[in-house]
Amino acid sequence: MTYLAEKSRELLRVGSGFPGAEFRDGQEEAIRHIVEGRGRLLVVQKTGWGKSFVYFIAAKLLREGGNGPALLISPLLSLMRNQITAAQRMGVRAATVNSDNLDEWSDVEERFGRNEIDILLISPERLANERFRTQVLARIAGQISLLVIDEAHCISDWGHDFRPHYRLLERIVRSLPPNLRLLATTATANNRVLADLATVLGPKLEVSRGDLNRSSLSLQTISLPSQAERLSWLAEQLATLQGHGIIYTLTVRDAEQVAGWLKSRGLSVAAYTGQTGPGREELEQALLQNRVKALVATTALGMGYDKPDLAFVIHYQTPGSVVAYYQQAGRAGRALDAAYGVLLSGEEETNITDWFIKSAFPTRREVAAVLEALEKESDGLSVPEIMARVNVSKGRIEKTIALLSLESPAPIAKQGHKWQLTVATLSEEFWARAERLTALRRTEQQQMQEYVRLPFGEHMGFLVRALDGDPCGVTPPLLAPLPTSVDEVLVREAVAFLRREGLIIEPRKKWPDGGMPQYQVKGFINEGHLAQPGRALSILGDAGWGGVVGHGRSLDHHFSDDLVAACAKMIGEWNPQTFPTWVTCIPSLRHPDLVPDFARRLADALGLPFHVVLAKTDPRPAQKSMANSTQQARNIDGSLAFCAPRLPRRGPMFLVDDLVDSRWTFTVAAWLLRSHGSGEVWPVALAQAGRD
Amino acid sequence: MAPKLSLNTQAILLLTAPLMAGHAPSSPDLLTLVEYNFLARHLRELQCRPADLLAADGGELLRACQPVIEEGRLQRLLARGFLLSQVIERWEARAIWVMSRADAEYPRRMKGRLKEDAPPLLYGCGDIRLLESGGLAVVGSRHVDEAVMEYAMAVGNLATRCGKTLLSGGAKGGDQAAMAGALEAGGKVLGVLGDSLEKSAMNRDHRNVIMGGQLLLISPHDPGTGFTVGNAMQRNKLIYALADAALVVSSDSNKGGTWSGAVEQLGRFPRIPVYVRSTGEPSQGLDALREKGALPWPNPRDTDELEALFSATCRNRAESIFS
Repeated sequence: MTYLAEKSRELLRVGSGFPGAEFRDGQEEAIRHIVEGRGRLLVVQKTGWGKSFVYFIAAKLLREGGNGPALLISPLLSLMRNQITAAQRMGVRAATVNSDNLDEWSDVEERFGRNEIDILLISPERLANERFRTQVLARIAGQISLLVIDEAHCISDWGHDFRPHYRLLERIVRSLPPNLRLLATTATANNRVLADLATVLGPKLEVSRGDLNRSSLSLQTISLPSQAERLSWLAEQLATLQGHGIIYTLTVRDAEQVAGWLKSRGLSVAAYTGQTGPGREELEQALLQNRVKALVATTALGMGYDKPDLAFVIHYQTPGSVVAYYQQAGRAGRALDAAYGVLLSGEEETNITDWFIKSAFPTRREVAAVLEALEKESDGLSVPEIMARVNVSKGRIEKTIALLSLESPAPIAKQGHKWQLTVATLSEEFWARAERLTALRRTEQQQMQEYVRLPFGEHMGFLVRALDGDPCGVTPPLLAPLPTSVDEVLVREAVAFLRREGLIIEPRKKWPDGGMPQYQVKGFINEGHLAQPGRALSILGDAGWGGVVGHGRSLDHHFSDDLVAACAKMIGEWNPQTFPTWVTCIPSLRHPDLVPDFARRLADALGLPFHVVLAKTDPRPAQKSMANSTQQARNIDGSLAFCAPRLPRRGPMFLVDDLVDSRWTFTVAAWLLRSHGSGEVWPVALAQAGRD
Repeated sequence: MAPKLSLNTQAILLLTAPLMAGHAPSSPDLLTLVEYNFLARHLRELQCRPADLLAADGGELLRACQPVIEEGRLQRLLARGFLLSQVIERWEARAIWVMSRADAEYPRRMKGRLKEDAPPLLYGCGDIRLLESGGLAVVGSRHVDEAVMEYAMAVGNLATRCGKTLLSGGAKGGDQAAMAGALEAGGKVLGVLGDSLEKSAMNRDHRNVIMGGQLLLISPHDPGTGFTVGNAMQRNKLIYALADAALVVSSDSNKGGTWSGAVEQLGRFPRIPVYVRSTGEPSQGLDALREKGALPWPNPRDTDELEALFSATCRNRAESIFS
């Protein structure tokens, strides 16, 4: 197809909103390359260069030339929402299909039918979704004229951010005929990743590559081992830092905790994570329009989020790799003369990145368990059915299934609603790849620890070299370093804050799939036999009370009076209504006194009577050795009994246990108590078990 | 062992295959076998291959094909590249491969015997080396009694003992009985299916024997295609084309796929010998086939006797070619 230079520039000007806008280096060449169908193209340019102009303008020109719509595959939704708006300005009709807008799927399909969509944006996970593929994509796949793979470095095994679902993309690309237009884009690809991409995308791949240095960014690293110190530093610095920014944490829990703390200090921040739900869009807008000082985010606020005047990016913990750090920090200062990229390094980060590394692949035991279960069922199994058969957590089962089904050839495939074995066996290459990637992640982790130790002024050069860029143009930081000290008073307040938070224990409303055979119950739990929403004091092992709880359980075999006081304080603040009139607890055969002793002291502190009414009638393995909810439910089934001759009191009570995990113990205990005529049952636990 | 997907196969898939990724209707533009043969001949005259249609400068070639197939239609078909990648990915995940008449791995027997009637595409699951092994085809109608089933099983078993591959259509009745007889004896089986390759490939009963290299399933139709009478009849031609000799264990008279497949084969040249069952319950259909030239099955009892039948077959064929 012929490239129309005039039309192309006109689109750029409309799209950017600047009547005098000109293409940046390489932009127009890339658009021309795609439109003329001169073969596959890889664009490696830092974020903010304007990769989206390339594919939106190319898509628009192709459409006007009578070609079919484009399909863009990108890992994150935040990118899509911003880009859809940008596209609309150019008159590019963009649409997205994701798990949040199931009800719009048929509308998108219809618009496709009426030829009213120019570009469809989806995630690689969506692309792997059987229902989407057979019901939506199958109808439109035959017309796609351009495939855009955003964040293409994810394809590479060597990429810092290798995503299993990109393996599917790799397979799709390998079987694409050469006449289909393909554009791959990424902001970061070192030489090894580039070589990998060339293997996947084909030998005739054309590469357009820009430089990596970000002269506006002043980088700094500060080591502050405890969370309280870092919380204190953040509260102090955020009050004086100019402009608006992002604070990155490694986990959802940290994002919520940091945001909670900063809010309690009167700072206007919000947590943004993969679990934020439909409010994410509103939060992105709030930051774009400077209505919040900062978002405290996980990587869910990621690639493609574009706020040109972002003044700072602060990391609460060190991310796992240079590329991840460069991408996140590189969001700051795109259209500013100067911006901060500050990395706080803390004691828990290595544990967290270790966990990410270790849990990235299923173990041989997990794979064998899932395959064995499938081997026994010639008609295949659904995920809940697998959960009932193997003692592996739901998350791990899903991860195992996802990774196995993305192999090529895959040892399992989904036929209808069930997973089935195929005629292929899992190759050793799978394990070799897992080992290779794990080793690579270790190296990347160490490289970041090296980065943490660099003196001020050497950070950007280190990053550019690590990414195989040219460090010649790197200039000294423009801004003075931020203070590295913390206010001791503020640190103490942060410690108190970390210990203050209670967590809600939501009552279970339904018995497990297949019911509880020994108790002879199944389906929904009778409304009158449900537990009330309870409270947990901490998360096991966390920086607040979690550490003290763990210590009490495994070392002292006794819970300290501090925990009694903290629990009583939590209950006082919580103040459930109608307020309980007595206290009871969950029995245990393994540690017969640990919980009753604590519950008795808690009852004293609350000024309530304590009564034992439940007994453990059958020794069972510890709940924590049961890896998923169905297994945990079965493990409880029939093992608890009501043992008092009659209820000592009719009124509502606190039901105390040390650890809450699957909530089945509380669910069964509440059901027993209420079936024997008790009042409302309010669960209280010292800690919630952390689980993936 | 699976063949590698070639550029020619990609082009032929785009031109002729429904590319069934889900419940979507297939393109109305698909080339029929006759149209595709015209195009293939035209490309040969231009000294081009189907793969050249996919090249960056393929536009010129499309225009050069205008006299045979309208350019816009070719463009629409060839623009289905993303859909192609979707279905191939689906097949590959289920260990299903696809090859085309333009591939070196395409069975020589089929190409030589059927010429332009040979299906442009073959889909399969299993070791492709079984494609060239020849062997004994056993076919029969769906509704057969217990005795015929046992008979078919015994023949399958015998073929295995002689080291012959057993070919059949995978349908209920005589087909499946013969295949089961061979598989149980540890023999090699080539199933030529008229429909539902994907389902058959995922069938647990087939899994171990496919993985062990004993069973190869192939089909000229998209792996997602369901049963149609037309496809079932067409598939019989392929069974004969891949075999050295054929035995019909049961047939209706003047109707049904087994009947028409055998009659068509009896009229073909060069032909492979078609035998009909000669013991047990007499059958009108089988008698009628004998009148059309089918031979009575000489009931070989052991390896030597079956070997003799195969050598005679080769001799006959040589004679018929040189006479």
